[in-house]
Amino acid sequence: MTTHQPVNHTSNNDSTIAEQSKNQNNDNKRANYKAIIEVDSLSFSIKNNAILKNLNFTVGSGEIYALLGGNGAGKSTTLKTLLGFNKPTQGSVRVAGKEVSKALDFVRGKTAYLPESATLYPHLTARENVEYFLSLADINKTDEQINAAFKRVALQEGAWERPMQTYSKGMRQKTAIALAILREAPIFLLDEPTSGLDPVAIDEFNQLVRELALSGATILMVTHDVYGACQVANRIGLLRAGELVGEFDAPENGRIDTEQVHAAFAQRGA
Amino acid sequence: MNYLIKQFTREWGFLLRQKYVVVLLLCSLVLSGFAIYSGLSEVSEQQQTIERLKAADQSDRANVQQKQNDAGMLAYYSFHLTYSQPSNLAFAALGERDIFPWKHRINLLALEGQIYESDAQNAELAQAGKIDFVFVISALAPLVIILLFHDLFASERTSGRHDLLVTTAKSYFALWGARITVRFVALIVCLMLPFFVGAFIAGASAFKVAYVSLLCIAYLAFWAVLSVWLGKNATSAPRVASSLIGLWVLFAFIIPILGDLAINKTVHSPNGGDIVLTQREAVNDAWDLHKSTTMNAFIKEYPALAPYVDMSSEFEWKWYYAFQQMGDLKAAELSQAYRDSAAKKYELAGTVSWLSPPLLLQRSLTRAANTDSVAAYNYEQQIRDYHQQLREFYYPWLFYKGDPTKAALENMPRFESTTQTSK
Repeated sequence: MTTHQPVNHTSNNDSTIAEQSKNQNNDNKRANYKAIIEVDSLSFSIKNNAILKNLNFTVGSGEIYALLGGNGAGKSTTLKTLLGFNKPTQGSVRVAGKEVSKALDFVRGKTAYLPESATLYPHLTARENVEYFLSLADINKTDEQINAAFKRVALQEGAWERPMQTYSKGMRQKTAIALAILREAPIFLLDEPTSGLDPVAIDEFNQLVRELALSGATILMVTHDVYGACQVANRIGLLRAGELVGEFDAPENGRIDTEQVHAAFAQRGA
Repeated sequence: MNYLIKQFTREWGFLLRQKYVVVLLLCSLVLSGFAIYSGLSEVSEQQQTIERLKAADQSDRANVQQKQNDAGMLAYYSFHLTYSQPSNLAFAALGERDIFPWKHRINLLALEGQIYESDAQNAELAQAGKIDFVFVISALAPLVIILLFHDLFASERTSGRHDLLVTTAKSYFALWGARITVRFVALIVCLMLPFFVGAFIAGASAFKVAYVSLLCIAYLAFWAVLSVWLGKNATSAPRVASSLIGLWVLFAFIIPILGDLAINKTVHSPNGGDIVLTQREAVNDAWDLHKSTTMNAFIKEYPALAPYVDMSSEFEWKWYYAFQQMGDLKAAELSQAYRDSAAKKYELAGTVSWLSPPLLLQRSLTRAANTDSVAAYNYEQQIRDYHQQLREFYYPWLFYKGDPTKAALENMPRFESTTQTSK
């Protein structure tokens, strides 16, 4: 796949948003990404209640894709489907070239997932938590490698050996990111990663995410924070009631226009 | 293999960091240790009592034999100890030994009254029961399992870790398999270790120990599987715990209680008091009966003694013991009905136990330890058999041989406990 279509499942009512997002498209730039996450005609229902409706999008290597939407838009459901917790009612989800439902262990092995509230074990220290989770993944890392990861996420050295019940949310997020880095997973799925963080912590987090993307990681984050998404994402997909109603691309060496996204987001109370 | 060791080592380390789990495991160890200690003490006390009574029994009889020469007087004043020796697994399952008597001193008088005069013994104790190993495993250990396993999944979900854990773990076994196995094995060790120590002290056979261990592990695995199965898809730990405790109450109390009520309603049984009363009334009435009535009935049981039933005085010991035996004969039907209904109740309780795993375990272990009601009824039969031997020893002396010689008294039958041991 060399180019990405903007949005091909936009309803008539959302034509204005589609127009806006078209203006943001930068197909030449996206042609450089190799699609790692491919969501094709994905629908998911619970007891005839459609949660996701015919979703189509791709996320490429080195790309930061923000799935933006309000409460109940289907953001977390999309993530859970990518992680294999939900089985698509229709369509397919491929990660790193494999159908998720058919290669669950492979997909999860390639994916670092950061839940909204990254509550690791509060009675364990950051190091013990990281060691525990790495052992679960059957990954061996030296103390030095773990220290380096903590430093990379700017987790204060004095906190490394402290039980995580004393951590702020930002510190917990950093620890979870350090874990993701140590897993050397090429794909990151982030669920509301900046929710509850203070502005400084958000800036640090965004910087870290950009660095990961620059190193080739594929990053899909779901968020309802328009400003935060525009700050960090190369591309934003606007999700409303389970439908992808618009996509916005960042211009070359620039950021997505917050005003435009916000207008689209607020247009019908996304 | 290395992979497995790695998973278990990690989860073991993780388990040790969870204080409440460690406290629960230590409580299990202490509880099981206390139950084993209590069982060993009880069995040791019973054995000491038996030994003490055996010595006293011998000395009492020697005193009587020194003072009395007459066969009738000897039989009247001589008591004979019978006892049911606890098996070397009894320490783990005291069973019915606190309800049914395990020792009786009997004489040549009518027997059935002597057996059943303590039918209601230890009623208060029977209600409370004893905290033995079987009680700990069958009734208390499921609660520990519920506490250990009910929130295994739910706590991870509510804290938001579940999806992270599942997506990080290399395999399902690496996470849940290892975690469940380590908790289960740790609990088994805490509960069974005191049992192994107790079995070693009591000298129980390896086969019996293996059998008991297998039953206990299978029973605990049942509760663990139930807890994991109910908890697997749940998001609410309290709901899982409530369901499991509900099942525990159902299995451990409601089914056995309803089963007991249904069995008692279905199977009607005379009680021990009826047997005692019938036998004693028969014996008392015999004083007023014509002697030939008693003796004619008696020689139907002992035709060989027919030539010796004539009496030359108002009171003769042979008549006295004959009407004692007739008392037993009168109560025999009731006694048999008592035993038949007890056997029927035991059989029906066996059927009920298939609906109640705790009851099934208790039943299996008390059977293995020979401390159930079957063992108690077997002991009663041993007393009857021994009493019959005593009658057969005394009757020739009472009817025609005169006073027994010292040498003859040496050959008097002695009770030997044939209680099965687990060796």
